[in-house]
Amino acid sequence: MILDLHTHSIRSDDGRAKVGNYCQWIRKKQIPLDGFVLTEHRQWDDSSDYRHLEDEYGLVILKASEVETDYGHVLVFGVNDDLVNSFDFAKIDNPLPEVLEAAERCGAFAAPCHPGRKNVGLFAHYDVKGPVEGVHTVEVLNGGSIPGEDELSVERAAEHGYRSFGGSDSHIVSRIGFCATEFEDNIGDIDDLVAALQGGRFAAVNLREPV
Amino acid sequence: MTKPDLDAIKAEWIGTEFDHANFTIKVEDMVNWAEACGETDPRFTDPEHDDFQAHPGFTTHLVTRRVLPEEFPKIQGRGIDGGKSVEVLAPVRVGDELRASATIADIYDKTGRSGTMVFIVQRMSFVNQNDEPVSTVDWKMIRNVVDQA
Repeated sequence: MILDLHTHSIRSDDGRAKVGNYCQWIRKKQIPLDGFVLTEHRQWDDSSDYRHLEDEYGLVILKASEVETDYGHVLVFGVNDDLVNSFDFAKIDNPLPEVLEAAERCGAFAAPCHPGRKNVGLFAHYDVKGPVEGVHTVEVLNGGSIPGEDELSVERAAEHGYRSFGGSDSHIVSRIGFCATEFEDNIGDIDDLVAALQGGRFAAVNLREPV
Repeated sequence: MTKPDLDAIKAEWIGTEFDHANFTIKVEDMVNWAEACGETDPRFTDPEHDDFQAHPGFTTHLVTRRVLPEEFPKIQGRGIDGGKSVEVLAPVRVGDELRASATIADIYDKTGRSGTMVFIVQRMSFVNQNDEPVSTVDWKMIRNVVDQA
């Protein structure tokens, strides 16, 4: 099963895509995705309900968050009330160890995204401040990466023994599915996703059309 | 560069109305704007059309004298125009007398490739001569506070 684990809709301040349009695009372009996860910036979008789109398009549509820390951005899957009350999703400098600890304690799954970005990615911060205990998984394929960034992510993730996943980081419709994650397990809801991530049964995949 | 205390700035300035202005809507301005946008819908380009009205983006070019409140704190960093978004609430017609008020709608920060950015959202709310809301324009002004790992 292939899911795009990193997408943004108009609920993110810089997102331009409506979720329904993502679904239409996936079907029209026959993108080999079974679904996607909306990881809205600096918030937990508790109110949006996409179940009708799941039914209409036969896709799994899940919700998560992209939060900001002192070591870069982090995707958080399995957000719940306990986690929302553990730290401020709107802050841009949440201490990464606290985010990781809170996610584990609250039964969620947190993983740094685009870690290979120059100056602002996880590994750039590692070069200055050293590694952080508690990081176990990172996004090594990101659809918004510039040449060299994903390669760095893959290399450094391997050095640290981190598990790897992929996501498009799409903010517009046409970029969904550029990168994704292939799971061994069937995933029907967010609990399934968190369990699969915790179990390590997945791999990053690049779905971009060759240039 | 010292990071601004956004919580304090937000507490003091969000919701503050700091300027207002009046605009008389003229047909030639409406047509010129629509044509400059490349618009072809006659509702926006043909004054003889039954439903002639200003192009949806028309109010984005109407500004108050002040962009920010007079005593708004200076936030150090490179300035970037983050663009405008407009919500159309009702048609704007020839001869309408619009009254606009400017407020600080939001202040927030985020990090990206270029570091920390502070967003200041200035909102202009337009009502017509009948006190009917016709348009809301949000203008994002960005300060790029350069910081690195």
